Amino acid sequence: MTPVFTSSDFMPVLPAGILVVAAIVLMLSEAFLAANIASRAYQSVLAVGASLLAGAVALYNMDLPSGPVLQGFAVQDPFSSFLTVTVCVGLVLASLFTAGFLQHRNAERGEFYALVLFAGAGMSLLALSAEFITLFINLEVLSVATYALTAFLRRGTRFSEAGFKYFILGAFAAALTLYGAALLYGATGTTKFIEMAGPLKEAMQTRPGLVIAGFGLVLAGFAFKVAAVPFHMWTPDVYEGAPTPVTALMSAGVKAAAFAAMIRVFVLLSPAIDPQIPFVAFSMLAALTMVGGNLLALPQRNVKRMLAYSSIAHAGYLLVGVAALFAPTPDGTARVGLLTSTPLTGISAAMQNDAFRGILFYLLGYTVTAVGAFGCIAAVERREDETRGNAWDLDRFAGLAQRKPVWAAAMAAFMLSLGGIPPTVGFVGKLLLFRSAVDAGLLGLAVVGMLASAAGAYYYLRVVVYMYMRPSPEGALVTERRWTTELALSLSALATVGLGILPGPIAELLSRADLLFRR
Amino acid sequence: MNSVFDSRILNLVVWSPAVFALLVMFLPKGEKGQIRTATLVGMLLNGAFAALSFHRFHTPVPEFQQEYLAAWLPEIGLSYHLGIDGIAATLVLMTGVLGPLVVMASWRFIDERVKEFHLALLVLQTAMMGALCSLDLLLFYVFFEAMLVPMYFLIGVWGSEERQMASMKFFLYTLVGSLLMLVALLGVYFIANPAGQRTFDYAGIYNGLLAASHEVSACVKNGNENCVLGASGVALLRYGPWFFAAFALAFAIKVPMFPVHTWLPDAHTQAPVAGSMILAAVMLKMGTFGFWRFALPLFPAAGQRFQTVVSSLAVVGIVYGALMCLAQRDIKRLIAYSSVSHLGYCMLGMMSFTPEGASGAAYQMLNHGVSTGALFLLFGMLYERRHVRLMSDYGGLAKVMPLYTAFFLIITFSSVAVPGTNGFVGEFLVLLGSFKSTLPLGLSVAATTAVVLGAAYMLWMVQKVFFGPITRPENAALKDIGLRELATALPFIALVFVMGLRPQPLLDVINASSERFVTRSTYTTDTANAAVRMAVLQLPPAAVPGAVPARPTITAAPPNINPGVVDRLRNLRAPGSMPTVRLPGNAVMMPAPQGTAP
Repeated sequence: MTPVFTSSDFMPVLPAGILVVAAIVLMLSEAFLAANIASRAYQSVLAVGASLLAGAVALYNMDLPSGPVLQGFAVQDPFSSFLTVTVCVGLVLASLFTAGFLQHRNAERGEFYALVLFAGAGMSLLALSAEFITLFINLEVLSVATYALTAFLRRGTRFSEAGFKYFILGAFAAALTLYGAALLYGATGTTKFIEMAGPLKEAMQTRPGLVIAGFGLVLAGFAFKVAAVPFHMWTPDVYEGAPTPVTALMSAGVKAAAFAAMIRVFVLLSPAIDPQIPFVAFSMLAALTMVGGNLLALPQRNVKRMLAYSSIAHAGYLLVGVAALFAPTPDGTARVGLLTSTPLTGISAAMQNDAFRGILFYLLGYTVTAVGAFGCIAAVERREDETRGNAWDLDRFAGLAQRKPVWAAAMAAFMLSLGGIPPTVGFVGKLLLFRSAVDAGLLGLAVVGMLASAAGAYYYLRVVVYMYMRPSPEGALVTERRWTTELALSLSALATVGLGILPGPIAELLSRADLLFRR
Repeated sequence: MNSVFDSRILNLVVWSPAVFALLVMFLPKGEKGQIRTATLVGMLLNGAFAALSFHRFHTPVPEFQQEYLAAWLPEIGLSYHLGIDGIAATLVLMTGVLGPLVVMASWRFIDERVKEFHLALLVLQTAMMGALCSLDLLLFYVFFEAMLVPMYFLIGVWGSEERQMASMKFFLYTLVGSLLMLVALLGVYFIANPAGQRTFDYAGIYNGLLAASHEVSACVKNGNENCVLGASGVALLRYGPWFFAAFALAFAIKVPMFPVHTWLPDAHTQAPVAGSMILAAVMLKMGTFGFWRFALPLFPAAGQRFQTVVSSLAVVGIVYGALMCLAQRDIKRLIAYSSVSHLGYCMLGMMSFTPEGASGAAYQMLNHGVSTGALFLLFGMLYERRHVRLMSDYGGLAKVMPLYTAFFLIITFSSVAVPGTNGFVGEFLVLLGSFKSTLPLGLSVAATTAVVLGAAYMLWMVQKVFFGPITRPENAALKDIGLRELATALPFIALVFVMGLRPQPLLDVINASSERFVTRSTYTTDTANAAVRMAVLQLPPAAVPGAVPARPTITAAPPNINPGVVDRLRNLRAPGSMPTVRLPGNAVMMPAPQGTAP
């Protein structure tokens, strides 16, 4: 078989290609141009433009026929295209926030944007991957770029500490995934998902231990990436230590891509194994993550750290949606691949499709909200405070409503959205997600999630209390920022509220029959 | 009669404050006068729309009127559906009347962050009107939750010393209840209709549950023997009580009923005058209204089963609230506890499941809005002058503020239900209903004796504050009621007498709806009865995305697209129900019927 690259292989990888080309241009321009150019504003413009273009292409790709591309190493389907759109939205907002952030620190370098775009390309390709080696390489592309970004501001020990921690734990997680993939390869003799299902079923009869161990290790590796309890330990330190725009990118893009890859692996491969296993695993992870994330966030006074724990909690809500994909039917009969008519799980394909829609909508909503919230933190923090560790204390937000009414209103919208209060996008996302969970009969998990998010409302509201109900501290100054920061804040706040009131267009975009390609 | 206007008026009622909020947003921060005037004009306009909607409400028709329907998120069967029945019409009217009075009451009192304050008031008005007019469960939920945010700011920013604690308590308490309700709401949504026909529409869900509710009622009545249950029936028998409990908890917190009332005294005491007035007059009604509209008709079997439990809690609330009032030294706290007591009567009347009791409960909701709203308003005037809340800080005010004292006395009489005032009508009907009902006699007797306690605590407070010698020199120079204050208070005084002496016009509006409420909450047989089944409004097919010719395969066999209310409700129309008229665009209007009820 001679490898051929056809035109149908071209479009799915085009968004990532655009991002990579832009990244290379940025790096070259840094070498040849930048010394002569006083302002480096063009860098952020280029990064934003490339992300917008990639996003537009991905939006166009939504309508491409689903199917394997690149000889089965990747899969083109609306799921992956929409995820790329989400990633690009995150990239645009994060790049806009970055411009002011870097300028303020005299750290404007083309590498930063180049790394951001490389990470974005990795995320986009990760969502497409349908083969373990491709998946691993893209996971590494995205991870290595984020490790470097975390330690990008080399000033002081904080950034290097965060970068180093992230690198060690991330490498460990990647190794777990790789080892799990190797075991599955050993059991089946192939690494392509679409060829794996049959041999896996056989292997499940002869060597169940090998298969289960392989899946367990793959799951653990992904759980690290999405920061599910009990694999979340690295998250608060790394999120706090990384430059704030990078944290925004990590909380939104990295998480979204890891979720996409995890869902693809388990939805395509789990029919071969005992259906109860992924269901129980994801349900437990979801319950632990929702409760743990919210409870750990409660005592935080450091807003950035609080949002790090909150991102753990949100991974938990998403895991509820993932668990719904593998739920047994309400009457208790086991489901999945055992019945040929429903190829995947006990819940019907339509219900599963609903769950995909919920997950995708939630990821988009979380992206605009979380990137906006971290961006707001980036705008409020002062460089001088970074080394002292109180740069993100709640007190920094005291009286923000009087100093910067627009920022405070935007931040309040983000907090309400994270808390899931209507009319914000967070509410609609949660509604769609929990709708699937209730549909799949996971009432208990839904109740746990709702109670956990009621606890969550407390710490989100505390930020609002400080902004609106506490006087400004003496000498609290807000450093002037570039217009890009204001633009990004307004865009994400508008999206947060606008998609909460009129979710129609996005929901319609996602209202197609087969979001995720299955054979 | 059947003008385009009728199908649009509720939109005006709901959104006119929001439009003025946009306007206020663009006014300069320093122009306090302009901001206040703009808000007042907005509220007056809103009140006018509410009055117009009430005026065009057709009294003998018990069903929903002035309906407006548009697609919102048709993929999951979510629509933007407004409409009012008798009880909603009266509550909308009260909310509309209250709006301008609240603005006038805070004219002087609020002098800091004036713009934000008035924005919060306007947004809150929109959310409250929206919740009252929603005929889509999720739309109601959205407004119900959205109400929390501006009220949270009203208490937390402009309240007194302990405001941050009070606002947080208020928010979290209500949120816990309503989040659990959201899960139950999703559960009902899945039980009520089969896949592909799911809808959040109130009538759609109610009609979908009808057969199952009937089966479950029969099953419970026969002691769980010889049960014939369909798939929905099985699910409803198993989860119905839990779903009812979740709805009931959310609304009981809002009412607030006895064990979950503890947020109310704090919220009322710390809130500014405007906050207390709105909280008492409208927001607490969302709890009782929620029981009336959602919790009881959607789960008749569970409602019957828990009738004694809920009405006992209501009576405990009546007595406990009254006793707590006797123990208070803080005037605002006293009024707050009196709310717990008064709303206990509402719940008792509703849970009696008799037409008298239900009408009394609805009338009592209005009464409580008038009397307690006015008490908070009047006390707010005093607080503006002295900035203290304890009874011992006052005394002998009748000598320096005679007019004010007269007003306060009238409202007090209304609150203790003296014949001739509005309070009497409501309380009398509630007690009548509860004596006629199947409830244990002891409950009604206990509720009746608490009327005496009510008179005791109010008169005792009036005596301490207004009569006797002037004990504090600061009180000797207090100014009597001013012109603006007079204009704010007079409407309340007028309402006390109008509603007390001529209750019939309002009761006419309420009665038909309350009979429907009783039928729907207690029916056991005859699911085809038009009085039980609800008429359903349809979206014109073109308004449903997914039905457009661009994607014909989806309409043919909808695996995941919900055609919403379209197809199913074609079959579900009540016999003899009113025809619907298609209008161009997304809207559908239901013509006002000509006299005959279906």
